[in-house]
Amino acid sequence: MKVLVLNCGSSSLKFQLIETDEQKIARDEDVALARGIVDNIGSEAVLKVDLPSRGTTLRETAEVLDHKAAVSRALELLTRPEAGVLADPAEIGAVGHRVVHGGERFHASVLIDDEVLRAIESCFDIAPLHNPPNVKGYRAAREALPAAPQAAVFDTSFHQTLAPEAYLYGLPYVLYERHGIRRYGFHGTSHRYVSARLARHVGREGDPALRVVTCHLGNGCSITAIRGGRSVDTSMGFTPLEGLLMGTRSGDLDAAAALHVMRKEELGEREAQALLNKHSGLLGLSGVSNDMRALLEAEAQGNPRAKLAIDVFCYRLRKYVGAYAAALGGLDALAFAGGIGENAAAIRERALHGLEGLGLRVDPERNAAANGVEARISPEGAPVAVAVIPTNEELLIARDAYRLVAGLPLA
Amino acid sequence: MSVRCVGIVGGGTMGQGIAIACAAAGLDVLLRDRDEAGNVRALEGIGETLDQDIAKWRRTTGERKAILARIRTVAAIEALEAAQLVVEAVSEDLELKTGIFQQLDACCPPNDILATNASALSVTEIAARTMRPDRVVGLHFLHPVPVVPLVEVVRGLRTSDETFAHAMEFVRVLGKTGIEVFESPGYVTTRVILPFLNEAAHVVMEGVASAKDVDASVRLGFGLPFGPLTLADRMGLDQLLRWMQHLFHETGEARYRPCPLIRKMVRAGHLGVKSGRGFFEYDADGLPRHDLKAGARS
Repeated sequence: MKVLVLNCGSSSLKFQLIETDEQKIARDEDVALARGIVDNIGSEAVLKVDLPSRGTTLRETAEVLDHKAAVSRALELLTRPEAGVLADPAEIGAVGHRVVHGGERFHASVLIDDEVLRAIESCFDIAPLHNPPNVKGYRAAREALPAAPQAAVFDTSFHQTLAPEAYLYGLPYVLYERHGIRRYGFHGTSHRYVSARLARHVGREGDPALRVVTCHLGNGCSITAIRGGRSVDTSMGFTPLEGLLMGTRSGDLDAAAALHVMRKEELGEREAQALLNKHSGLLGLSGVSNDMRALLEAEAQGNPRAKLAIDVFCYRLRKYVGAYAAALGGLDALAFAGGIGENAAAIRERALHGLEGLGLRVDPERNAAANGVEARISPEGAPVAVAVIPTNEELLIARDAYRLVAGLPLA
Repeated sequence: MSVRCVGIVGGGTMGQGIAIACAAAGLDVLLRDRDEAGNVRALEGIGETLDQDIAKWRRTTGERKAILARIRTVAAIEALEAAQLVVEAVSEDLELKTGIFQQLDACCPPNDILATNASALSVTEIAARTMRPDRVVGLHFLHPVPVVPLVEVVRGLRTSDETFAHAMEFVRVLGKTGIEVFESPGYVTTRVILPFLNEAAHVVMEGVASAKDVDASVRLGFGLPFGPLTLADRMGLDQLLRWMQHLFHETGEARYRPCPLIRKMVRAGHLGVKSGRGFFEYDADGLPRHDLKAGARS
């Protein structure tokens, strides 16, 4: 079955066309036929489609004024003869949508009907930036592909297994009841994918006692403790701001410090949000960049603030690994994923440095050789298996959509 | 009608602010000041405002780039025909404004909405000089436009319901709250705030309390961010005087009579923040020389 995977942001649409079915999933042979993006929706947009099987890329600019037009343009590009991936949009058997926030209602991916749609819309209040464009993408796809069933795959649903002691803040309980103030966690699709691959990588698929930690380190970063495939704790909270240091987000912070800064700098709520989400993290600390590659380069050239930012990043990550080893009562395996996790060997080594006591060791040679590919980086016989596992959220979204349409249980 | 491109006539402080607010909301902006030098100054001013926003963490460098990419200056007013809504933001001069509206009326498609940022002049009067009085509306933005979340949407006598609804929708797209105002001198915001400032000046003039204590009492007593005399200094006492005279003249009501102390201070050149001295004293950066927020008797 050909599944169209859509990830709608406020002014962009990322899409993939993935061919999948039960046999292909079992053999890990389901792959993306096309990967594309429509960027700068609302104005003169840039359209790009990579066609891995042909080794080519289609690129053009066009006026794309809304998400509806973006979906039509994406389908138009995919059905071009020179793309060679889709003869007719009717070949698309399902559409899978990345939906950021599923609140407490969604514990797993679902087919979207009117009731589900209302529930997703009811999360607008707690995810004002993300859920509205996700819904726009759904409406656009429903109009363009009326016959194809549509599935929602939530960033939050994997973490719905957290126990109250892990998801509650130390605030008056009435705020949880009244406004849903709690930790939800994000990047769930990535952590689910990576932890499942990791379980297979260490030969313990389906083992309910397996204790793993997955580190998703991209521009946004989060870390999750997982026992037997179920999320036990995760670093992002009510919003994706909490936890690890990120490209431009502060991560953990004393809330009183934020309030004090607001008063001292006379910032309103909007400015404070931007300060914490867009001007902080690696960028804010280093004053150099939010890109780890640029920071490692600057550090090598002797920039002290770049080094400081990287040190804070690694220390915070190390602290969380230790905390999650405690939460799980020990550790069997750990995986790195995301742009930094998959490609920055130096960060992997520095973050785990000093954790030998927990059984975490990194083999320098294996680590240096593992770049963007699935690979073990701990030495032979180490108590905890450490691996690089490239994430693939789109593949998991396609698989969930396929299974929901085919009436098969979700893995 | 959905607005995708906004025309702005006038590249002064208000025109620049409206341009930033529109571009930040993802709309394309065509900006026209009276000549090329004015256009260049307007773009420079917009760039400086955005730089200040970045320093204050309001925006990122990426957002600055995206905003600037959406704002284009044009030489001829006819180029504004590409916009679906045009906002006029030139100085408060009836002949100047009506001249611009007649030019816009001639070049813009008949369905386009023509809006004026007039704060004192009559929307009805400006509209009457065009062929489309039903499609003329007042959009009273407050300074600084990108920050203040309010727009007074002003209905002239002949503004149609449809035009009003489109104007409200446009304000919503900008992420601001619109309030419906039926044309009247000072609309709501100016009319409510001015007598408050004027009364504070009376209290000082009568020797009831010092300027500092008047501000402290209102600030602490009612939880406002600053007192009326600080606000008067920021607004400019000459501006405040002009406004009071306008309301007094338009309505003939004694409650709008300007406080003689304000008149005297303007004559002395004590205009507020911009002259370094009004009810309080200010340094070259416009910051108060004394800590006004300390306890009233410090």
